[in-house]
Amino acid sequence: MSTNHNRPLSEVEIRVKALESLLVEKGLIDPAAVDALIDAYEHKIGPRNGAKVVARAWTDPDYKQRLLVDGTKAIAELGFSGVQGEDMVVIENTPQVHNVLVCTLCSCYPWPTLGLPPVWYKSAPYRSRVVSEPRGVLQEFGLELADSVQVRVWDSTAELRYMVLPERPAGTEGWTEDALAELVTRDAMIGVTKVVVPGK
Amino acid sequence: MAISPEQALAAAAAGASARVAQAMTPRFNVGDHVMVSNINPPGHTRMPRYIRGKRGVIARDHGVFIFPDTYAAGRGERPQHVYSVRFTSHELWGTHGRANDELFVDVWDDYMERA
Amino acid sequence: MNGIHDLGGMHGLGPLVVEANEPVFHHDWERRVFGMFLPIFATGTFNVDELRAAIERMGAPAYLNTTYYEHWLHAYETLLVGKGVLTQAELAARQRQIAAGAH
Repeated sequence: MSTNHNRPLSEVEIRVKALESLLVEKGLIDPAAVDALIDAYEHKIGPRNGAKVVARAWTDPDYKQRLLVDGTKAIAELGFSGVQGEDMVVIENTPQVHNVLVCTLCSCYPWPTLGLPPVWYKSAPYRSRVVSEPRGVLQEFGLELADSVQVRVWDSTAELRYMVLPERPAGTEGWTEDALAELVTRDAMIGVTKVVVPGK
Repeated sequence: MAISPEQALAAAAAGASARVAQAMTPRFNVGDHVMVSNINPPGHTRMPRYIRGKRGVIARDHGVFIFPDTYAAGRGERPQHVYSVRFTSHELWGTHGRANDELFVDVWDDYMERA
Repeated sequence: MNGIHDLGGMHGLGPLVVEANEPVFHHDWERRVFGMFLPIFATGTFNVDELRAAIERMGAPAYLNTTYYEHWLHAYETLLVGKGVLTQAELAARQRQIAAGAH
């Protein structure tokens, strides 16, 4: 929260303040509700949720099966649901198939499990290029895929929201679910990177 | 009139699915070959340009959803099936595509014809 | 519509920039724009497809030169004025008051 009172407000700050103050004045919105939502999405709803789903799937084959068949229901088992995650599809990366997500039309993203999308995911360069040259985009994220690996791009243009179930890295046999969840990154659940064990 | 913080958090956790609880016979089945129509509506549509006129295969039937093209324009929900359609990279990008790579796009029933 | 928002397969949109350890929000005004999303929807003034459509109509130069939450702000203003919840005049007057430090 950086508020510099000596600096004149920018045009966009003025527009936001004007809009909110008018809506509050008319009794249409409660600023405390705005505060509560900001707090929830800034501090509680984020990729740690998705990481728990992934770690559960890695350690519980029955859960993984349920997750791949009905993502929404299996994710709700761990308590995650809501706006922009109403209808979830989870797709599995394997040694033969690498999946990567995009929304070319408007930046749709699975909020309950991954939180709000990063700027690059919403950006014109990512949305324009990942569908036509996914391997080049993945290389920019440091991910080189062998020619033998099939790349599947999922463009979430409709009401389904997607999440990638990354491959469990080698060398993690016997790890606890919590320790595995620590390894799982947002980018691996979008499909632009793999999950790796630090120092390996 | 304004929602309270508690109501706002409850609404966030509940979500608002565009899925419609209405049984409708799907026009396509998994494995069917389809062609995406070449439509160019001036209003809202969720059919990206890069699949127009392209051929794909129905990979999954997601069920019945509100149709945004009409819903965004105040012309009703027009519920219909949405399918995951699989396209080859070559079909969409010609010689710039990659053999074996694929794209999956979620496509409303109204946007497609049988190929 | 065949608008700029329909980006798949386009060339020439610049390099992909990835910020390490990116915060959820970069500015306080982004927080407010995000936080107003559900409360505004709860008024029942418009649906999410209308929000998307309003963003798509903002025009290519504006779309490319503004950020995600500015797109939302544009849609809120356009739809709330368009549906008669606010008037352009009261919005402009309030903006002038705030700019002058008088509100």
